[in-house]
Amino acid sequence: MWQAFWVLVGAAVTVAGCYATGALALDRLTVTLRRQERLPLAFILGASLMHLAIFTVLALKIAYRPVLIVLMLAAIGVAVWRGSWKLKGESFGPLSLALKAFCGAIFGLFTVLYFFHAWAPESSPDGSAYHLGMVTRYLRVHGFEQVTTNMYANLSEGIEMLYFPAFAIGKHSSAALVHYAFLVALAMLMFAYGRRIGKPWVGAAGALLMYVSPVVGYDGSIAYNDCGVAAIAFALFYILELWEESRAANLLIPIGLLAGYCYAAKYTAFVMAIYALGFLAWKTRRARPVLIAALCASTMIVPWVTKNWIYAANPAAPFFNKIFRNPYFHVVTEKEYKDFLSNYGVQNKWMLPLEVTVRGQLTGGLIGPIFLLTPIALLALRFRQGRRLLLAGAVMLAPYATNVGSRFLIPCLPFFSVALALAVPWAPVLAVVLIAHAWLSWPSHINSYSSPYAWRLDRILWKQAIRKIPQDRYLIENFGGYGIARMIDEHVPKGARVLAMSGVPDSYTTHEVLVSFQAAGNEVLGDILNAGWDEGIQPARRRVFQFPARTARRLRVINTANGVPLEEFKASELRFFFQGKEIERAPEWKLRAWPNPWDVQLAFDNSPATRWRSWETATPGMHIDVDFGKYQLVDEVALETSADYGGVRLQVDVMGQDGQWTKLAGAPRDEVMKPEPFIRRWSSHELHERGIDYVLMQDTDWGADDMREDPESWGFLEIAKGHGARLYKVVKR
Amino acid sequence: MRFYPTIALLATLLAMFATSCQTMPEPYAPPVQRQPFEDARAHRIARIVSMADSDAPAHFVRDIPPGEPAAWKWTNQNPAVKLLLKTNQNLRYVIDFTVPEVTFKQTGPVALTFSVNGHVLDTVRYAAYGEYHFEKSVPPEWVDTQKEAIVEASIDKVFVAPGDGAKLGFILTRIGLTQ
Repeated sequence: MWQAFWVLVGAAVTVAGCYATGALALDRLTVTLRRQERLPLAFILGASLMHLAIFTVLALKIAYRPVLIVLMLAAIGVAVWRGSWKLKGESFGPLSLALKAFCGAIFGLFTVLYFFHAWAPESSPDGSAYHLGMVTRYLRVHGFEQVTTNMYANLSEGIEMLYFPAFAIGKHSSAALVHYAFLVALAMLMFAYGRRIGKPWVGAAGALLMYVSPVVGYDGSIAYNDCGVAAIAFALFYILELWEESRAANLLIPIGLLAGYCYAAKYTAFVMAIYALGFLAWKTRRARPVLIAALCASTMIVPWVTKNWIYAANPAAPFFNKIFRNPYFHVVTEKEYKDFLSNYGVQNKWMLPLEVTVRGQLTGGLIGPIFLLTPIALLALRFRQGRRLLLAGAVMLAPYATNVGSRFLIPCLPFFSVALALAVPWAPVLAVVLIAHAWLSWPSHINSYSSPYAWRLDRILWKQAIRKIPQDRYLIENFGGYGIARMIDEHVPKGARVLAMSGVPDSYTTHEVLVSFQAAGNEVLGDILNAGWDEGIQPARRRVFQFPARTARRLRVINTANGVPLEEFKASELRFFFQGKEIERAPEWKLRAWPNPWDVQLAFDNSPATRWRSWETATPGMHIDVDFGKYQLVDEVALETSADYGGVRLQVDVMGQDGQWTKLAGAPRDEVMKPEPFIRRWSSHELHERGIDYVLMQDTDWGADDMREDPESWGFLEIAKGHGARLYKVVKR
Repeated sequence: MRFYPTIALLATLLAMFATSCQTMPEPYAPPVQRQPFEDARAHRIARIVSMADSDAPAHFVRDIPPGEPAAWKWTNQNPAVKLLLKTNQNLRYVIDFTVPEVTFKQTGPVALTFSVNGHVLDTVRYAAYGEYHFEKSVPPEWVDTQKEAIVEASIDKVFVAPGDGAKLGFILTRIGLTQ
């Protein structure tokens, strides 16, 4: 029970700290707001400022629990002392009893569902893995550290910054409740918007259309950030509307801060910053207001860009790796990742509306069948507010093509929800639509039309929330990843890293788990491990280039053809010969490669389990280049490589004394290589040499059955199993 | 409109920003050369389906209830699993099972027939209840590496539950082929 109590305390202190900061800022800027809009706007604006304060704490490496708590309490204390804590401002006009009773009932019902889910133990995949995984990692070292083994560490984490104080007090569920607070703030703000434009039913209906949506309810009650992003974007829209009414210069600062916070919360929300600056430019035709807002926005953006620049050599990490070349993320992985996110396995894009509104399996959840009516929102174009809402919604929808997951619709949903309500602004019609939406969105009804595997809430978790069912028991029984995380902590010595082929909930283990697809270095480790069982990637052919003996100081093997998409240039070993005898590799050799120069040594280590890969689709000019350091007699070059690619056309070039490359040999002769009988042992040995002594294989991972049937032949010792996974220790050579 | 100087400044900054990160490494020297293994041994295939494995149900063909993994499972009369093997050389049929006391009281001694792809490997009579292990070589021609092999065990007499009439064969712990 105490655990449940501290969960609430952690969330309450954080939310109150954000509200206090925002309230102080609003008063300092002398922004006059209605009472009903002050609370949500103060919270969201305060969250933006507080995120920056916590970023600073992490950058200074003083992220200790007392520091984070004092930061929150200080904000609350100052707000109380300065009188900002109080809800100020005039109220909107009174509401009808019908609206209060009807909308209050629906809101209350779903609030019970969501609140208890957020309060219950966190078992979401991404929440427990990286949204909170990074929080726990940074808290362990009391600040930021360079993380080059997890691409998620490089995403902007504007919402996650607020999870630090919450987590420090109440752990995972506190963070989920903070995210839920954003959802409530968003609903309040949407309602206030309706009241401000004199259409309270439109505001209430818009808010409830969004709030009741199944994917919103699920996402908003776990430690994700999509509902937070939606709240920030709508708050920015709201303040822009306020600014347009008053043209008050003091509003330019919150506009800029929230525009920047959009980027800080999620890369894709950056479009809302463009909307804001464009709106200011359009309305004023002057640079000054735009520059003021842009300057404020940059205070939110620059810290994240700088962090990535310093730690990942790529200000936009983990994206744009072809422009910002770096050793931490592979171009081909980025492409595969983006390709997957752009369709989620939905081959026919015309099926996407049905998938995200009704089925909800492939794209991870559903926004609800009612949103099939979204085209009706176009009727709102007859109102000025409708045109604005639809424009802002379209702007927020624009990045959706890059990630078609249902939850990526959440940031544009508030705009379309209010626009939809505005299109048919008659209370009886809206009431009927809301009843249908609420009925269809209630957990026990979703099953009747959605895919059985759609991501959704299924019941009110009150026993789990108050920890009447102990957290550990609930997670062990309902969240397989939790058991795996506990298994790692129980069997792996402190500080040892674990290689895994599939993700695990990092926030539930104190060990660093290197998931094979999450960074370039991990992928190399995964490639080494896979070489043990996958004959397709083992060296299977020797491509031999023979030419008349000559002296050469510098040679290269270069590709001259375009590979089919995702087909790479790969080299397990590159060897040089004279009169049939291999030229011994010498320390004075200088090895280069393009692209991926960082891994070139893998083609010169004499290990069949390692290989250099271009890690991007083969294009003419890709090469491996060797400078012998002196002139050397040579008459043969042999490239040992796998048989899993064919479109690459190779030739050997020699560099002349004038520094120019000329072709020496083309059309290699292919020889079949004998399989290495101890390839599995090579793999484990290479992992050990790279500091990896523990491997986690889930039963469904590729290659898991090969290890399971004879771990000894791998040089592995099975040290634990359970929860659908096995943990192996590398037995040293 | 006074945007042009601002736009020019931003474009310059962006260009500088975009081109300032191309830090390529210096050439590398060859790394430490790896030496061949002398004490390693080749891989032995052991495609054995343990009822405790989370992926075990994917191998079930018949007469083994799917559902959550467990240390053992009741079977019906003729449980079978399917396995894909990389080789058919030196394979051995392996099964660990229990003839439970509760069923033995009704059935008495039972005979189990062990088969691979429909070829009967052996039939063994068990005259007492208890835990048993059976293992025997499988002729290579019985297994096609291009197709999944069906590995089965059938019991001659099943237990019929007095209450609901459910039929129970024996308790299976693991079954499969190994080298």
